[in-house]
Amino acid sequence: MSEQQIEYSQLETGYEFPHSTFKLDVAAISAYLKAVEDTSYPYQDKNLVPPMAIAAFAMAALSRGINLPPGTIHVSQEFEFVDTANTNESLTSHARISRKLSRGKFNLLDVDLNVCNQEHKTVLTGKTSFILPQQDN
Amino acid sequence: MEMGWGPMNALTEGIDLPGLKKIVTQENINLYAEASRDFNPIHIDDDFAKKTPLGGTVAHGMLVLSYVSQMMAAAFGQRWLVGGKLDVRFKAPARPGDTITVSGKISELRKNDGQTMVNCSIECINPKGEIVIIGEAKLGV
Repeated sequence: MSEQQIEYSQLETGYEFPHSTFKLDVAAISAYLKAVEDTSYPYQDKNLVPPMAIAAFAMAALSRGINLPPGTIHVSQEFEFVDTANTNESLTSHARISRKLSRGKFNLLDVDLNVCNQEHKTVLTGKTSFILPQQDN
Repeated sequence: MEMGWGPMNALTEGIDLPGLKKIVTQENINLYAEASRDFNPIHIDDDFAKKTPLGGTVAHGMLVLSYVSQMMAAAFGQRWLVGGKLDVRFKAPARPGDTITVSGKISELRKNDGQTMVNCSIECINPKGEIVIIGEAKLGV
């Protein structure tokens, strides 16, 4: 995903963000495991990457592509862990606006996520929902 | 690969999953910001956060949600890592110093095409007893 951010006001339902490719390097996974203090057996001495690490990296890619106003709240989250991924794999994240609407003083924004591996097989899907304060345009 | 929780073969509606207690620290939040590249000042800049309605820094919702996935991975192992589903709402912030109690209960077992679908109700509670995260986790076993 490019580092150029799109403003909330420019988003429309159906908008697809430029895809983002990220590598699951060992240092990044170690940093993630340290942050969340995850010592679960599946990730020790194996190359398996926690699905929530993949989710975090996909969300990071999304946040690099969108400029949400102060006061934005991440209200709900769905994920499906479709398949595992290993360290040093490269994954590509796709994000699409599935809903944008105004309700009173707030805006609602839903973003669908799909992360696939180099074989174009889906590893993770998700839906992220934000509430944003209404802004004067 | 090991499959996690021992009594996998004795899954019963209503039983509790082995829960977790995790202490949220500002250090963890800062590390998560680095790892996820989410540097929203509400998480890492106390001077900024104090001026907001939240009154101080709060953990990333995704950081707390990772605790739920840890609980599910510990309980169900590979079955969670391939085919696990989460559907949650973020209800209240988790703050530095909070001990978050992560719990889950098997709410429904359903046979489907030779597989048992397990629905779990999950919650994360802060020390005030407020629900930080609530929702469902699902998988097939």
